[in-house]
Amino acid sequence: MAALTEISSRPRDRHARARALHWALAGVLALCCAVSLQIGAAEVTLTALLGKWLAGEPLTMMERVVLFDIRLPRLAMGVMVGGALAVSGAAMQGLFRNPLADPGIVGVGAGAGLGAILAIVLGTLLPVWVTDIAGNHLVPLAAFFGGWGSTLLLYRVSTRGGRTSVATMLLAGIALGALAGALSGILVYMADDQQLRDLTFWGLGSLAGASWAKVLAAAPLVVLSVGAALVLGRGLNGLALGEATAAHIGIDVQRTKLVAILAVAGATGAAVAVSGGIGFIGIVVPHLLRLASGPDHRMLLPNAALLGASLLILADVIARVIIAPAELPIGIVTAVLGAPVFLWILLRRRGLVDL
Amino acid sequence: MRQGRMRRGGDGFATFMGGMIAALAILAAVAVSARQAEPADGAEADVLSIGGSVTEIVAALGQAHRIKARDTTSTYPPELADLPDVGYMRALSPEGVLSVDPSLIISEDGAGPPEALEVIRAADVPFIEVPAAMSPEGILEKIDIVGEALGVPEQAEALAAEVGEDLESAIARAEARAEAPRRVLFVLSTQGGRITASGTGTAADAMIRMAGGVNAIGDFEGYKQMSDEAVGLAAPDVILMMDRGGDHGLPDDELFAMPPIRVTPAAQSRSVVRMDGLLLLGFGPRTAEAVEQLSQALYGGDA
Amino acid sequence: MRLETEDIGVRYGRHEALGGVNLRARAGEVTAIVGPNGSGKSTLLGAITGTLPHAGRVILNGRDVAGQKPWELAAQRAVLPQATRLAFPFEVLEVVRLGQQAGTAGGRANVPMQALARVGMAHYAERIFQDLSGGEAQRVMLARVLAQVWSPVEAGVPRWLLLDEPVASLDIAHQLQVMEIARDFARAGGGVVTVMHDLNLTALFADRVLVLSGGRPLAFGTPQEVLTDDTLSRAYGCTLKVSRPPERADMPYVLPHHGQLTGA
Repeated sequence: MAALTEISSRPRDRHARARALHWALAGVLALCCAVSLQIGAAEVTLTALLGKWLAGEPLTMMERVVLFDIRLPRLAMGVMVGGALAVSGAAMQGLFRNPLADPGIVGVGAGAGLGAILAIVLGTLLPVWVTDIAGNHLVPLAAFFGGWGSTLLLYRVSTRGGRTSVATMLLAGIALGALAGALSGILVYMADDQQLRDLTFWGLGSLAGASWAKVLAAAPLVVLSVGAALVLGRGLNGLALGEATAAHIGIDVQRTKLVAILAVAGATGAAVAVSGGIGFIGIVVPHLLRLASGPDHRMLLPNAALLGASLLILADVIARVIIAPAELPIGIVTAVLGAPVFLWILLRRRGLVDL
Repeated sequence: MRQGRMRRGGDGFATFMGGMIAALAILAAVAVSARQAEPADGAEADVLSIGGSVTEIVAALGQAHRIKARDTTSTYPPELADLPDVGYMRALSPEGVLSVDPSLIISEDGAGPPEALEVIRAADVPFIEVPAAMSPEGILEKIDIVGEALGVPEQAEALAAEVGEDLESAIARAEARAEAPRRVLFVLSTQGGRITASGTGTAADAMIRMAGGVNAIGDFEGYKQMSDEAVGLAAPDVILMMDRGGDHGLPDDELFAMPPIRVTPAAQSRSVVRMDGLLLLGFGPRTAEAVEQLSQALYGGDA
Repeated sequence: MRLETEDIGVRYGRHEALGGVNLRARAGEVTAIVGPNGSGKSTLLGAITGTLPHAGRVILNGRDVAGQKPWELAAQRAVLPQATRLAFPFEVLEVVRLGQQAGTAGGRANVPMQALARVGMAHYAERIFQDLSGGEAQRVMLARVLAQVWSPVEAGVPRWLLLDEPVASLDIAHQLQVMEIARDFARAGGGVVTVMHDLNLTALFADRVLVLSGGRPLAFGTPQEVLTDDTLSRAYGCTLKVSRPPERADMPYVLPHHGQLTGA
């Protein structure tokens, strides 16, 4: 018995490491936020402004606009989008028991894309009062409802008698994606020159359109969805054993699935709506964290939120300054950084992906 | 054994994060130093000019020295290439625009995204929007607005008069040459073997008509990808394309060998005209020159 | 206290895989389910655990399981499946803890290590589960199941181990070890229902045996009552001979007779 106690009190490497990592990542995120406010195309730095503020000097109009109307909303949006995408990725991978799953599987991407294209191409056909109310938010709104709608549709299609078949969902998602792609193709054909350009830039993804209005619109949804996803840790851990065993250890499998799907649709839908398509965060971030501190979803999900937000903010800093005063779409930066990391992961742990 | 594997995993992660942070630091440093290397222009440089034709007009008004920064579409006159570039006019970054600290922004219609423009307006930088044009009158209006914005209305009036006259005579000469109007197909892109061509209501359509040609396509608006048969049915006598410069363009042999083009009269006579995109479609001060060039290319003859 | 089934039936499409099964398993005993391949053993266990949709009722400790929440059931019974494909590279101890998360054993931090020690896998605690051999993985899964219902009786109510071929991929020493764990659990007041292939192990460790054939119950009773030449030969469709070693007359010992298939 003495021997047993000794064994059980041995320091638990991965758990301790995951917790330490949690605080380290929180620090990294704070640092990234500071960097994001400090660096930009304009000669405005956080440190200089803090100095001015401490000395009681007023800020110039330019300084105020750059800090409060440009960098801060952009930072807030980066944190939300990065966190939402990474947590959604981790939740989807847990739900589908596959480290390569991403939110696209539940049809969010295809639906949001279709919604955005509909709004861009057919937005002019809407009654004036609708476009007046929606204003610049017509495209994000349409993208969100497109993503959410297609996820609900997939959920309905793959749920029979109160049980959701994850395999059906996967296959139906492919079919729905193809359908959305075809409809998008028709709309692209109808689009005029200007609309085509809008479509291209929407598809690449960017935080350049950040505004307080968008942040405030997306925030409740992202916070709610990410919050819901964060409590899924135990359920997703159970699902790693398979659905039947998860139920046997006391997990409400159907509720776990439903919450995961709705949370991912909400978080990803909102993220895609305000920033367009930004790839790789949802796959690369959970993967790195699993390598670092193991697959326990109770730590993986919150850590993914922190690392996802940090990486997206850094990618955005690069996007903003590398060809300043112009900027790159952030989707290009995340793809350039993310794709090699993704390959590196695959090559290092070939056995990991067991399809 | 397990210990070894875990340590390897941890090291890999640390290496990756370290490498990533180092790469980010280098990128940021490069970007910052590139920014500081901006040419310090004369004290008068205060204008951000957005849109190829607007920039041309500013230069034609003798105010090129006042341009502090430009967008990607502003490629003429070539001397401006060294100025800071705030990116593509439809995907402007608000901070990028403000960072060049302009006291005046003159922009062609269609700059965006709307959120960026909102922020720029919030920073109290005067923002003059110049409507797009597809007619001689439109060009003169552009000149008028730009001249007004720059505070040089007299020069603008003179330039407008000159440009107006040139246009009138170029169009008249083109009309005279075009005894038998030729059918012209403006091909925007041949990507993937599919022809994207101009229908009606485009700058290309307007240019073809001003140069005394007939747009081979009359049954759709805007730029569209066409089926092979539709291209054959349009039966163009001449293919008009943008000059991509250097070796980047599609060689004539390949163009005329494309299945949709091969059956057209243009392929039989190997007739293709390539012109600089901004000159051809910009509707700026050089449009008279463009009309003259295109008309000569279509019908031969001299000025 | 008992685990009872009333007229359990399972259909796969139009094929009736199982019908009319009335099992009575008592706490304090090891109840084995035996029968040839395809006789419905695992199907019966699937119905009892709620994995398979079925007709009839399952009564656990006097309460119908239908309508009970997953966590209520998890506190009363743990289920060992035939094989588990784990999705992510969890460490062995993490896997055992997954079982412990639910149920009333939640607060006992030492239980997972004790459970691992019980199956002789304590020194593998920090190995990655996927790196284990089939037999090792099976024992870890048993530890996970034990951790879930660590004390066989909780607040006077017995808890249950439902095992689907728990010794399938194990060597003889570990077969005995696992069966001893099951018997000890029952002796301490818990209930065990286990699907078995090996009739001799069944004879050694089971208190009650249910023989299934073609989806129907053929016999139910003690090993001595049920493991007879006649019953087994009918169940398996070949001539089987049961002998009893002189030193242990209570223990049937099953021998196949070569080359004499009855053609059933």
